[in-house]
Amino acid sequence: MTGLKVAAIHARFGRHEVLRGVDLAVAPGETLVLFGPSGAGKTVLLRAIAGLEPGALGQVVIDGQDVSARGPEARNIGMAFQNFALYPHMSARDNIASPLVARGLQADEIAARVAEIAKLLRIGHVLSHPPRALSNGQKQRTALARALVGRPRVLLLDDPLRNVDAKLRYEMRLELPRLLRESQAATLYVTQDYREAMALGDRVAVLRAGRIEQCDASETVYDRPATAAVARLFGDPPVNLLACRPVADPAGLRAEAAGFRLVLDASAEAAGQECLLGLRPETLSLAAAGPDAARLEVIATTPLHERLVVLLRAGDGTEIVASLLGAAPPPGAQVAVAADAAAALLFDAASGARIPARRVMAGKAA
Amino acid sequence: MALHKLLRAAALTLVLLFFLFPIFWIVVMSFQTNEEILRLPPSLVFAPTLANYTALISGHLQTASGILDITFLHNLWNSILLSTCSVLLALVLGVPAAYAFARFRFRLGEDIAFTMLSFRFAPPLLVLLPLSLYFQDLGLNDTYIGLIWIYQLICLPLILWIVRGYFEDASPDIEYAYRIDGHSWWRAFTRIAIPLAGPGIAAAGLLSFIFAWNNFVFALILASADKQPVTVGALAFVTASGIQYGQIAAAIVLSILPTLALALYAQRWLVEGLSLGAVKG
Amino acid sequence: MSTTVIIPTPAKAPARPLLPRLLPYLLSLPALIVCIGILVPFFTAAWYSLQRYNLAMPLNREFVWFGQYLDMLTDPDFWATVRVSAVYAASTVGLELLLGLGIALLLRERTRFNNIVSVALLLPLMTAPAIASLMWKLMTNPNFGVLSWLVALFGVHDFRWASAPSSAMFTVVLVDIWVYTPFMMVLLLAGLRSLPQQPFEAARLDGVAGHFVFFRITLPMLAPYIVTATLFRMLDSMQQFDIVYAMTQGGPGDSLMLFQVRAYLDFFQYTNVGTSAALMIVLWALTYALSNVFIKQWLKLRERTHGAA
Repeated sequence: MTGLKVAAIHARFGRHEVLRGVDLAVAPGETLVLFGPSGAGKTVLLRAIAGLEPGALGQVVIDGQDVSARGPEARNIGMAFQNFALYPHMSARDNIASPLVARGLQADEIAARVAEIAKLLRIGHVLSHPPRALSNGQKQRTALARALVGRPRVLLLDDPLRNVDAKLRYEMRLELPRLLRESQAATLYVTQDYREAMALGDRVAVLRAGRIEQCDASETVYDRPATAAVARLFGDPPVNLLACRPVADPAGLRAEAAGFRLVLDASAEAAGQECLLGLRPETLSLAAAGPDAARLEVIATTPLHERLVVLLRAGDGTEIVASLLGAAPPPGAQVAVAADAAAALLFDAASGARIPARRVMAGKAA
Repeated sequence: MALHKLLRAAALTLVLLFFLFPIFWIVVMSFQTNEEILRLPPSLVFAPTLANYTALISGHLQTASGILDITFLHNLWNSILLSTCSVLLALVLGVPAAYAFARFRFRLGEDIAFTMLSFRFAPPLLVLLPLSLYFQDLGLNDTYIGLIWIYQLICLPLILWIVRGYFEDASPDIEYAYRIDGHSWWRAFTRIAIPLAGPGIAAAGLLSFIFAWNNFVFALILASADKQPVTVGALAFVTASGIQYGQIAAAIVLSILPTLALALYAQRWLVEGLSLGAVKG
Repeated sequence: MSTTVIIPTPAKAPARPLLPRLLPYLLSLPALIVCIGILVPFFTAAWYSLQRYNLAMPLNREFVWFGQYLDMLTDPDFWATVRVSAVYAASTVGLELLLGLGIALLLRERTRFNNIVSVALLLPLMTAPAIASLMWKLMTNPNFGVLSWLVALFGVHDFRWASAPSSAMFTVVLVDIWVYTPFMMVLLLAGLRSLPQQPFEAARLDGVAGHFVFFRITLPMLAPYIVTATLFRMLDSMQQFDIVYAMTQGGPGDSLMLFQVRAYLDFFQYTNVGTSAALMIVLWALTYALSNVFIKQWLKLRERTHGAA
């Protein structure tokens, strides 16, 4: 098969196991976002794939060839580092030309390809500058150009937008998908920002504590997270997780927590068990007072983009975050808040696993 | 406040006088004839003469008992040869090792690095006395090669620890990026790692040159007259009877001039070198 | 989502090329060889120290275990060496610390003038100590030495500097101070200038008295630099050879018989390899103990300048 395939990657530093068996496959032209909290091992995984972690075990296959035993120079990989890792003693042009020089291309072809990629990334006017004379955005584009110019089969991008300002990050989020698709490389894109993951990834792999906890289309990860931990990581502001003990109901399960009363379309097996009710802040809304709406006190509000993030407190002291559209209720006000039952998530409290919907269980067994 | 400033100025004047006067005075002496030197009270009013220097350079020294042939220029040449070769050898040995210690965590590396460091603080005679016997057996006695090897005791710790610091301060990602571009390990080392540590390597090289030049005891024990550097050669000058004082002073000036000039040039890195890379100036 | 994790044994892992794994060892091999080359004579010295071994009497060579060390304990010459070395080390390091700290405080502000002065003050340190001794020897010459003339002006006639047992120690300590005070100065100055400024600004705003700032803020914050520089100098000073040998060769009498000077003379004048080696081993043991303390301090400072090293 073509593209990138990694199998059973293990890495440990001393006693600390950083990667505990990671399997991934990325098709050419596809972008797989590697998402996870800091310390999850994202960078180590990229470095293991690039051949920079001599202690890592496991198999790396690129375009059907096992490259596990090869050095980083013989894997046909392009990589952009978080800190850009530009060569400070070379001009931007020489930085970008480096992969072509390594391949021993003719000078005129090198010049042509550097000019082409520089034009694409709009850094043609700074090619003669040394890295220290570039703005952060230009540095970041130079690093991307260097990773792309050799037309590698695999692209590893280690949080490339982390060290650039918000405006540029926004622009790049729009530009990058086209650039990556056109490169026809199998791309692994590391980020800690779920919006970036949503914007860039065809699929998202959530890495947590050295393992892939879920690998799915980004909407699936958001709508149907495999575990409570994934739900908490993937979303901003993070999901509200409320302890509850659901009871059986003709329509599925009935769960009550912090004043919310919801009927969930979920497998009845979880009835009577300790569960976590997951309510995404953006699925909460102000409602008329009623038996199913929770009565909550407004503690604080802060605007986030076009929405308003509101910190609320239930009668039992549970704190709940809601992301609302419209006018802000003043702090201290009592409001009624309704949750969208269709978007609510239910997790097993002990294992953290999501309790699947009834429909799927009732339908044809996969 | 004025009193405070006055005291400060007075203190600084005294300090400068104490530390710089000896050098100034020796330079003055080196341009004086024997009669002028022996005249009391000493005077700064005299007709400068280059006779002391020309005598040193020609190698024929006038003494009370006639002409004495001492080839001080040969000592100077020995100093240049020994210091330069020792520094070059230490760079060849030390820079790759410093790189290994900075980039790879391995037991042997720390052991060597700390052994070299502890050599720097061990009494040199402890090693030199048995060596003087060994060197006779090995045929290294009174050879440049033997001396250059033992000079590594001075140069290698300095280079290891200063250059290691520079390698550690440079992000390894820059080398990794270069490897991923498709360059071999060796090219990444020579085209990225070494240029980035360049200032550190230059500083360590200059400083170890100064310390090798100033060394006295190694050559005193292991070298005979025709291999001795200026430090030992100048001592022979003083003990040889009847040499004119102006010529001794001129020999001293010639001996310290290169290191003082280098020190002024390398002053930015002196603190780092003196503390073996522990403190930056 | 429950996946069984199979941890592969290292044997199953694909064979990594040998070169990258051997690389660090190959790179440090030359330095290792030099290390070993220097360790051999060290062990030889330890071996000699257990023997009665005089080059002039090769037939009398015999293994005496710790006999020479025991003899030393009752040898007044040995104790004289210990005393002279202790006086030398204590007085040079103590005075250099006080002077160096004083000068560093004078030059603390980063002005152009101060920078020029601090560079000029480095010149003695860059002079070879043996040559520095010769310079002072010329300046203290009884016939024409400018210093002899100067002290005579102040009414001290017939001050014989290094040639009199009573003033020989004073003279070599003076030369040591001339050479090595700049070392203290430059390290402490670097330390002073690297201190964070906020505590001093806060103290100034609060109107804290100058001596209080010095003893309660400057000194404690400077302590790591002071300790490192002092230990560094102490290690060198205990082993001083160049200055004393070039000035007086240990004389007059045995007033300046430091450890290394005595060992040198034992070896080359009296060809007594055994006692000379034993004396060096004693000095080595002293410096080794001290250097372990020093290296800990040194590493702390190094970590501070290089981040987490």
